[in-house]
Amino acid sequence: MESKLMHVFPGKCTACRNCEQACAFAHLHEGRPTRSRIRADADPQLREGKHVLVVCYQCDAAACVAACPANALWRDTETGAINHIAERCIRCGSCVAACPFGNMRWEPLAQHPSKCDLCKGDPVCVRFCPTGAIQYK
Amino acid sequence: MIRLTIDGRRVESRNGEYLLTLARRAGIEIPTLCHHEAVEPAGACRLCMVEITRPQWNGWSKLVTACLYPAEEGLIVKTSTERVLRTRREVLELLLARSPRAEAVRRLAAQYGILEPKYAVDQEGDNCILCDICTRVCATHVTGAISRVNRGVAKKVATPFDEASDVCVGCMACARSCPTDAIAFSQDGATRAIWGKTFEVVPCTVCGAPTVTREQARWMAQRKGVAEEDFYVCDVCKVAKTGLSCRKVMW
Amino acid sequence: MKQTLATLPVLRAKLKEERSKLRCIMVCCGTGCRARGGMQVADAIRDELSAAGLAGSVPVELTRTGCHGWCEQGPIVTFEPEGVFYTQVKPEKAKEIVASFQSGEPVSKLLFRDTKTKRSIVTYHEIPFYSKQTRWAMRNVGRISPTEIGQYIARDGYKALEKVLSGMTPEDVISEVEKAGLRGRGGGGFDAGRKWRSCRKAKGDVKYLICNGDEGDPGAFMDRSIMEADPHGVLEGMIIAAYAIGAREGFIYVRQEYPLAVEHLGMAIASARENGLLGENILGTGFSFDIRIARGGGAFVCGESSALMRSIEGKPGEPRAKYVHATDRGLFDRPTVLNNVETFINVPLILDRGAAWFAALGTDGSKGTKAFSVVGKVNHNGLIEVPMGMSLKELIFDVAGGIPKGRTFKAVQTGGPSGGCLPEALLDLPVDFDSLTEAGSMMGSGGLIVMDDRNCMVDVARYFIHFLVEESCGKCVPCRDGLKQLLEILARITKGQGREDDLDKIDSLCFVLTEGSLCALGKSAANPVLSTVRHFREEYEQHIKDHFCRAGVCRDLCRYEITDACTGCTLCAKACPVECIAGDRKQVHVIDQSKCTRCGSCFDVCNFGAVEVRSAR
Ligand SMILES: Cc1cc2nc3c(=O)[nH]c(=O)nc-3n(C[C@H](O)[C@H](O)[C@H](O)COP(=O)(O)O)c2cc1C
Ligand code: SF4
Ligand code: SF4
Ligand code: FES
Ligand code: FES
Repeated sequence: MESKLMHVFPGKCTACRNCEQACAFAHLHEGRPTRSRIRADADPQLREGKHVLVVCYQCDAAACVAACPANALWRDTETGAINHIAERCIRCGSCVAACPFGNMRWEPLAQHPSKCDLCKGDPVCVRFCPTGAIQYK
Repeated sequence: MIRLTIDGRRVESRNGEYLLTLARRAGIEIPTLCHHEAVEPAGACRLCMVEITRPQWNGWSKLVTACLYPAEEGLIVKTSTERVLRTRREVLELLLARSPRAEAVRRLAAQYGILEPKYAVDQEGDNCILCDICTRVCATHVTGAISRVNRGVAKKVATPFDEASDVCVGCMACARSCPTDAIAFSQDGATRAIWGKTFEVVPCTVCGAPTVTREQARWMAQRKGVAEEDFYVCDVCKVAKTGLSCRKVMW
Repeated sequence: MKQTLATLPVLRAKLKEERSKLRCIMVCCGTGCRARGGMQVADAIRDELSAAGLAGSVPVELTRTGCHGWCEQGPIVTFEPEGVFYTQVKPEKAKEIVASFQSGEPVSKLLFRDTKTKRSIVTYHEIPFYSKQTRWAMRNVGRISPTEIGQYIARDGYKALEKVLSGMTPEDVISEVEKAGLRGRGGGGFDAGRKWRSCRKAKGDVKYLICNGDEGDPGAFMDRSIMEADPHGVLEGMIIAAYAIGAREGFIYVRQEYPLAVEHLGMAIASARENGLLGENILGTGFSFDIRIARGGGAFVCGESSALMRSIEGKPGEPRAKYVHATDRGLFDRPTVLNNVETFINVPLILDRGAAWFAALGTDGSKGTKAFSVVGKVNHNGLIEVPMGMSLKELIFDVAGGIPKGRTFKAVQTGGPSGGCLPEALLDLPVDFDSLTEAGSMMGSGGLIVMDDRNCMVDVARYFIHFLVEESCGKCVPCRDGLKQLLEILARITKGQGREDDLDKIDSLCFVLTEGSLCALGKSAANPVLSTVRHFREEYEQHIKDHFCRAGVCRDLCRYEITDACTGCTLCAKACPVECIAGDRKQVHVIDQSKCTRCGSCFDVCNFGAVEVRSAR
């Protein structure tokens, strides 16, 4: 089965940061948008409609996967997401350094990396985006 | 397919799986301290002991470590017989006497009803229980900078000759994988010190926030044949760069 | 010259013929005798022989042998074929020895004097220490020069190999060894044939064979003696085993402390290669096998099979769990057979004389003979090889000459540091694998430490646990931390700080060691403690409750006093190293307790039993 993809529509993003709130809440049980795995990158001049959402591309030839020495990053065959397997992770931080887009982040408290896992096929950011700037289809 | 029972439950296994994996998959909890999915099992802590038998053994049984024992057809595994529990308690007694301040040990011991160790406590005892996770992690996945040296009670984890290692890249995988937080390190924004060596944590070339150590970046670059400099941008600046290039394309 | 199946028997017949006409002076130049000047004795005799005009002129030969296994009598000189036996020979005696060799008159001062009968004995055939032994594994020990392959061949050496390669299939060899019932001599007593069979069946074209010459038991030296004195016997056994399992490469793992064994094995390997008995195309049959020597660092745990294999691989000598057998995945993860030195040296005998011959020796469950290293409070410390099943009593009292100085036997520790202490009540126990295990001890590699009433059983247990604490590899919790706690408790008890609950704690620690340890070192480490608690519990209780060490060993728990039985002979006063015994001749002596260090010298020298051990309180 061809897995669904995240589609980002930059023109529609208002930088309301609902997606960030939802993501942080879903994964960390606290509403700290800075720890979200999706980032609403607002246009520095705050020009209406010129904001961009940055979220993991689940790249085919992913730099994080290549960098991981411990084989802790695996592609989920159902969702297509590259999942971080916490039990296998040795927490070296190589993946964070390797991702060219900044989509692999470091959890300072838990001391391990975090990345978008497509919420097992039902991304919360999509559900909470009021404008449809991010869609999963 | 190999079929066996664990605590009366029928489980199936593909070749090469260990009893611990099967038990956990079946939702049966077995305590471990030296087990880490990223490395080959060592069988050092002896907490994961289970009792195995077979009908044709006529009531005879033996204790084995679940983390190392491969699934076998027809095996009858019991994870909490009195023999298993007594062994586990005694192992925890010994660990608690060795490392009375290690949180992971205290927690497990308390679970087995041990609040104070009955044996002589090692007052100088540090938190290291010699589970060997750090050395296996470093040897298997990073550069093998540390190993266990000496024998018996004098055994410890160290770099060769206790000198600053020339291969350690300062990635901290060892310290972060340690179940008892026994590995000493210190870090501030610009530097990180571990195993007697101080590393520069290279500042983000855009904003100056700490990224990775130069040694780790070099090691990664070498492994993958990419440019070392690529690693010196922090994730926030990388997101900003990604955003900017998007905007450039779009508008 | 490279021998073949056709030329080897011819060579052997020729050598036999030559050697049957020879008379030899054999000087022991094993490690023990060397340390006491054996080499100088040999040189002096050589010079003396040439001065007497006997050197080189057939049929006299001077042979430097390996260790006889009776180093306490060394340097040893024997005449063959007569069997004349001289002990504690000094180089100055060379002249007398050569004269005696010529005249046939023994040098009485150099003869062995029987401790019981006080009679001098001329030949070793009449010395009980030898005559009561059945030396099969040690058949060539002290009888040949270990550095000359010809002497080995002349004594039917490589005959078994010749037979094996002349038509036996590997399968035939294995079933012969199985039928013989050969069990491993290194500790576990595992059936050798069965081990070979599993390895033969294991998948893989590269297989390894290893000989375990680590011999870590303190006091044990039978493997050293065999490797030093009969290296070709070990090689022959290995070559046959390699043929049986299908190995092309083998290792002999020898501890660092055995330089002479390494030297002799090295020379034997070289000459076996030169003679076409090792290397490519052995005896022209197309079968190839070669052996290398691996030197161990001398850690006790490196004798354990998985640790030994790691050590050969160049890794730290730590054991691994053996849920996958070495016969499937051993050295470098290839199918591997590991056997002890003594196991291998029995192999040529079995193949040469037949399984039935071998199986007729020993008991139902334990076939053949076993070499023991008997040390401690016996008149004759040394290597004793007897058929399995001989009683401990016979071994200790008849062969080893009993307990010296008229003291009483208390216990015998069998099986080295991880064996157990057996009391007098068990002296009738036959020494074989199963009886010893049943009694809470083990055969181990064959160490026997004999103890008398001057040995404290708590202290003995402490001693062995101390040894094991030092030798534990430290990988697993029960062994590393459990032994440390056990030592702490035992040390406290011997210092008079024992507590009521110590025996319970000891019990718990023994439990977790036995049940929880990773390798056999930890699993068997409790034996010295368990067996002493079991057989000498009242001694523990006396230490803990009465603060009394009846053996007078634990210095904090005893004091020496001189009773009225004292005749005033002054022997004790002379023996006391701190001069704290006062008293006039013919008067009862008194010990100044404030100065006494409780060394027990007075107790040991008193001929009238007037010195007593009392509680320190
Ligand atoms: C701690 C420890 C030390 C051992 N040391 C020796 C040794 O020095 N020599 C030896 O032959 N076997 C030793 N063994 C036994 C070996 O593990 C192994 O069983 C043996 O070499 C197999 O040979 P066998 O079957 O011929 O006896 C030791 C075992 C343990 C657990
Ligand atoms: S931090 Fe974990 S996931 Fe990232 S590279 Fe290291 S091991 Fe892999
Ligand atoms: S039992 Fe002792 S020697 Fe054996 S693995 Fe454990 S610590 Fe090492
Ligand atoms: S988890 Fe199995 S021995 Fe530690
Ligand atoms: S060295 Fe001569 S008898 Fe042992």
